[in-house]
Amino acid sequence: MEKVECIVVGGGLAGLSAAYGLAGAGAEVMVLERGDYAGAKNVTGGRLYVSPIRGFYPELWEEAPFERPVARELITMMGDGAHTTFELASDHLVAGPPQSYTVVRARLDQWLAEKVGEKGGMVVPGMKVDELLRKDGRIVGIRAGEDEIGADVVVVAEGVLRLLAEPAGLAARPDEKDHALGYKEVIELPAGVIEDRWNLNPGEGAAQLFLGTVTDGMMGGGFLYTNKESISLGVVVGMHAMKADGREIESHQLLERFKELPQIKPLVAGGTVAEYSAHAIPEGGIAKVPRLYGDGYVLAGDAAGLSLNALVTVRGMDFAIASGYHAAQAMLRAKAAGDFSAAGLASYEAALRDSFVLKDLETARAYPQFMEVPRLFRQYPTAVSRLFEDVFTVGPGPTPPLVKKAWRGVKRDFLRPSTLQDAWLARKL
Amino acid sequence: MDIVVCVKTNPDPQMVRIKDREPVIEAVPFKLGDLDKNALETAIQVRDAAGGKVVALTVAETNRKIKETIKDALAMGADEAVIVDDPAAATLDQAGVATVIAAAVKKLPACDLLLFGEGSSDNYTGQVPSRVAEKLGVPQVGYARKVEAAGDAVRCERSMDEMIETLELPLPAAVTVVSEINEPRIPSLMHIMKAGSKPTQVWSLADIGLDAGALAPKQEVLSNLAEEQDRKHIVFEGTVAEQAEAFVNALVKEGVVGR
Ligand SMILES: Cc1cc2nc3c(=O)[nH]c(=O)nc-3n(C[C@H](O)[C@H](O)[C@H](O)COP(=O)(O)OP(=O)(O)OC[C@H]3O[C@@H](n4cnc5c(N)ncnc54)[C@H](O)[C@@H]3O)c2cc1C
Repeated sequence: MEKVECIVVGGGLAGLSAAYGLAGAGAEVMVLERGDYAGAKNVTGGRLYVSPIRGFYPELWEEAPFERPVARELITMMGDGAHTTFELASDHLVAGPPQSYTVVRARLDQWLAEKVGEKGGMVVPGMKVDELLRKDGRIVGIRAGEDEIGADVVVVAEGVLRLLAEPAGLAARPDEKDHALGYKEVIELPAGVIEDRWNLNPGEGAAQLFLGTVTDGMMGGGFLYTNKESISLGVVVGMHAMKADGREIESHQLLERFKELPQIKPLVAGGTVAEYSAHAIPEGGIAKVPRLYGDGYVLAGDAAGLSLNALVTVRGMDFAIASGYHAAQAMLRAKAAGDFSAAGLASYEAALRDSFVLKDLETARAYPQFMEVPRLFRQYPTAVSRLFEDVFTVGPGPTPPLVKKAWRGVKRDFLRPSTLQDAWLARKL
Repeated sequence: MDIVVCVKTNPDPQMVRIKDREPVIEAVPFKLGDLDKNALETAIQVRDAAGGKVVALTVAETNRKIKETIKDALAMGADEAVIVDDPAAATLDQAGVATVIAAAVKKLPACDLLLFGEGSSDNYTGQVPSRVAEKLGVPQVGYARKVEAAGDAVRCERSMDEMIETLELPLPAAVTVVSEINEPRIPSLMHIMKAGSKPTQVWSLADIGLDAGALAPKQEVLSNLAEEQDRKHIVFEGTVAEQAEAFVNALVKEGVVGR
């Protein structure tokens, strides 16, 4: 059997980040990516938090092909007939090095693959891995078509579905209960139009999340990220919420409907749809993260369940890059020690535990359960808008005092046992 | 039989989008031309049947992308690759490209058969093969749908309107192939891995005795936009049968249907 030091399965951000670290240190690494090129099959909403990963490969982020630094954060709660938007525009978001950027994966992943190549790593696109090879309980290589290739270590960075990791016994089959489904369109608009519509300084970007009627009350939400000359617009829905609901509307129609909503239509008016995609998202949180290493392998990125939906922040790409980085470091240590067994690779999981990746997932342990609260996606967005509607209303007769109006709204929509129960659950967030 | 296959790398045409009547090629990955792959497949099959060697030859501005793309030819089964590095390759006209190819072929130790796709995936002028054949003074057949070694000759088949023509050319010869000739193989991982260790030479124009100045394009492309046509805005009136009749007549008149 032909053999290389390290095979990376999956040329997404996790796999490429691992390969970059390995190739940069002179290790022999081969990335196998089933898409026609790196990034071809990758879907993300659109925003990468760079602050957490800036310390890894600092030379990369200066020149990365990002879209726009996010200078405005918006959250829109959509109720029946009314919606409320909170908007944060802060110098701190972009002062110094910006904390986050919108990204287009086709561009970012291809660029990173190019960087891996420059460091001497081999990236093979158009190559689907069919099986992880196991021998005497350890992962010894991969099979692609007829060819079996051996490796000291296989980095399993195949993304959310675990079509390889599960049959090889490295992780459980993804459970629909722990996953959401995202639908997304990239809609082209001239840069000037984008800056006008979101009140942006030239070159700066906005990130907008939507809750409520956008998912028809199902667990999930909508997102909108401004790229250089396009916007990424999408809807995410919990898989089991969709199924349990047994509703008429097909999930992919949610995006069509979202675009037709009076709040959204003017934002996308005149745009051309350049791309459509759909993808699953792990949302099980820390409780569903499997053991991240074993004899001859490590799991990274979505394949390891490293992603976090904390309502106002959605993260996965920074975790993917960080896990790839730490996987590479652990492998280099294993190589130096000549030990590619689980013991030799254990420093990978230890490093992730010490880093923001598993710490932030631990902090967010309560989120998946909190997201089960159906009121979050139906009653509350409507109630918030209703409250503000009351506050801003001047009717024909005398207008009650402001505080009284607000209090009435709070009493009506929030002072209920169910809300208190939800608040109790929310204390852990 | 020593075979030289001339290949061109292009931005993957399937990934190129048109925006404001201009192709957007930013972030579009590079690929060997589709018809070039047919030519490569032909070369590999002829070599496997008759023995010899396959050299993939390209004229391009040499960078990592080109080297990576030319590796695809080696992975498919070419034995060697030659890149003639011309920093101005993108602006060469067909005469210039043919001059470079002819000079490179002369420098190769042996070339019995020159294979080309019938046209490139981007500009598709189909001129280069004939120009190269003329410069080298070798016979040429275009649009072959079958190519086989036949001793000191090469036998080609091509479809004419109502017949199939079989031609035999004495070697050395040049042949262009059509897409129906074969299904280019998709290289296996093992072949891709081995491609890295096959020889790839990079020659400068000076290496093949050329001077960049002499290659300056003799033609200038002013525009390559498809013609824009206004819609005719013809509305047919009357009963459905009358409308259908008038509609068909109009189509016939436009030459869209019938003769
Ligand atoms: C709709 C949506 C919105 C999101 N929004 C955000 C956001 O705003 N911010 C954020 O940080 N994260 C976001 N995420 C999460 C983020 O996109 C993922 O966490 C991240 O892409 C994971 O990277 P990865 O490299 O682990 O996996 P992927 O990017 O999925 O890469 C896996 C790669 O493996 C390849 N592959 C799979 N199987 C094989 C095989 N058998 N052989 C060869 N190759 C294979 C695939 O083609 C793919 O390229 C979002 C996700 C979705 C779906």
